[in-house]
Amino acid sequence: MRRIRIASRLGLRARITLAFSIGALLLSTLLAATTWTLTREKLLSDRESAATVVVYTNAQTVQRRVSDTNPNELLETLLTPLGGRPVLLTGDETVSRTPAFGGDALPSELKEMVESGRPARMRYDLDGEMQFAVGVPIPSADVSYFEIVSLDDVEGTLDALGVSLVAAALVTTLAGAGLGWWASRRALRPLGGVSTATMALAAGRLDTRLDTGDDPDLRPIATSFNEMAQTLQDRIERDARFASDVSHELRSPLMTLAASIEVMENQREDMPERAQAALDLMKGDIERFKQLVEDLLEISRFDAGVVHLDLEEVHLAELVMQAVSHSTDADVPVELDADLAGVVVNADKRRIVRVIANLLDNASRYAGGATSVSLRRAGDEVQIAVEDAGEGVPPEDRERIFNRFSRGSASGRRGASDGVGLGLALVAEHVNLHGGKVWVEDRSDGSPGARFVVQLPVEAQQ
Amino acid sequence: MSTHILAVEDDERIRTAVKLALEDEGWTVTEASTGEDALQRFHETPADVVLIDIMLPGIDGFEVCRAIRRASDVPIVMVTARADTHDVVAGLEAGADDYLTKPFAPKELSARIRALLRRARTAEVSSPHLRFGDLEIVPDEGVVRRNGDNVHLTKTEFRLLVELAQSPGRVFSREVLLERIWGYGYFGDGRLVDVHVRRLRTKVEADPANPRHVVTVRGLGYKLQV
Repeated sequence: MRRIRIASRLGLRARITLAFSIGALLLSTLLAATTWTLTREKLLSDRESAATVVVYTNAQTVQRRVSDTNPNELLETLLTPLGGRPVLLTGDETVSRTPAFGGDALPSELKEMVESGRPARMRYDLDGEMQFAVGVPIPSADVSYFEIVSLDDVEGTLDALGVSLVAAALVTTLAGAGLGWWASRRALRPLGGVSTATMALAAGRLDTRLDTGDDPDLRPIATSFNEMAQTLQDRIERDARFASDVSHELRSPLMTLAASIEVMENQREDMPERAQAALDLMKGDIERFKQLVEDLLEISRFDAGVVHLDLEEVHLAELVMQAVSHSTDADVPVELDADLAGVVVNADKRRIVRVIANLLDNASRYAGGATSVSLRRAGDEVQIAVEDAGEGVPPEDRERIFNRFSRGSASGRRGASDGVGLGLALVAEHVNLHGGKVWVEDRSDGSPGARFVVQLPVEAQQ
Repeated sequence: MSTHILAVEDDERIRTAVKLALEDEGWTVTEASTGEDALQRFHETPADVVLIDIMLPGIDGFEVCRAIRRASDVPIVMVTARADTHDVVAGLEAGADDYLTKPFAPKELSARIRALLRRARTAEVSSPHLRFGDLEIVPDEGVVRRNGDNVHLTKTEFRLLVELAQSPGRVFSREVLLERIWGYGYFGDGRLVDVHVRRLRTKVEADPANPRHVVTVRGLGYKLQV
């Protein structure tokens, strides 16, 4: 058998949902990271530019007044709108407005660069806080002017932004998962229809088709499904017709054979013994042949779906007794439940008789004959049970023996090779047609043997 | 003179085999292979029993049945392909008295023929004049009159009516009627009774849809209303 793999360990819907979630997560993380980085750079450089402008302005003031003003007073007069902390380096002396931000708070690299006569600026970390320092040399007074601006509040803004971005990424991921779940559900919904149609087909409603609809994506699937169903239906109907045609064709020669055998039978006394033996063999086999053809015809009618029940009100106990007394096994005792005396069922007499005859026939063929036929009421149902004293039916065979041409397990446990193999299949078909059930179980009294039970519904009309 | 059977069957081998088997019963068999052939032979030599296969080339079995029925009340046994189709009812409505499905044993056929012949003869038992409203039955003469006019019944219809009329008011189940009229017993086809009752009603009832004489007793059978 060729199998096309469609399933993986994880469900299709779970996989789609997962893919959507991972996609949403990656995308939102990328977006968040980019946003954060760009915003950070922008905020920091804006602050640094502004600080630089302030520093240069202050540096000019310092240059103008450093020669005639006390450095400490000079620093006090400077305007620092960005919170800059001014530092003035004059030779070996350091003057600062804020003691905590003196010369030590400046990176030495920056100091060296400025002292060598070039203005410089630097972003650096001081005791865990981000600082920005700008230094401007003032060669005319042989001093260097610095300002240290804290970037910490920018960092605070950035942290808040980061939190928002992470939250947004999480929400996006969840939304992605939700979208994936919903999309997969939508995408899988047509599959549900296909599955329903497939089950209907499997259950024998061969005329089941999918509505091809207008959806360009689904139409090919629907069309190919319908083609498959049509092929299947054609094939099954052809097979059913074939069986029916063959059996029909067989009936004419059978008719001739049956009539001719009877003519020969009438001349039996004039025949030598060996010819009589041959005649008996022929007679027996023509009978079997006839039964087989009849069974085949009957079953092909089920396959073609052209059966209908000839329902009439039947006194069940009488029907069972008559069926047994007209069977090949007329001596089998019939046990009746007392409360069944007046039970009338709506049944097709011919089919129920066939059911009982086939069960008795099955018993005599494989189990040395039935030991009893019993009829009892079970709630809204009646059960007809045929018991035998054979080997019984092993549990693994109990469903299979109702299949066509099945004769017990492969080892041939249920014996003789003369079985036709349609008897029990027909029993099942007839009983199902009546809305009943048939099964085989162990005998109720524990003795070896099989118990075939036919359960039929009783209408609440008596 | 021996009983004469007209066997209409298009399959020559079956026809020959059935003829051999029936001749073993001591009966005379005339063969016909088509409907036209059958009608011509029937007019030349009326038979005591006619056996017709429904599936015939040309004029089909139903038509042959109707044509013979128009001219005669001879018992007709029909051979159908299947028991559970409309063929059986259609054949009975065309006038057949009984039917068999292929493949049947010739022994069964001769049993059916014997039942039909016996019936035709035992219909002449002595019974009093029976009267039910507008209906008058004279079993001894084999005559039924409605409002004084003769009603033409086949032998089977007549037997059915007499059977019911001899115990007026009593309900006869299909099984009982099958046994008494057709010799079948429990496993006869109830449709034989139903279709014959229907045919009978069209002849003896003023309004066959609302029968006043031969009435149905639901779930039980039929009776002749007093």
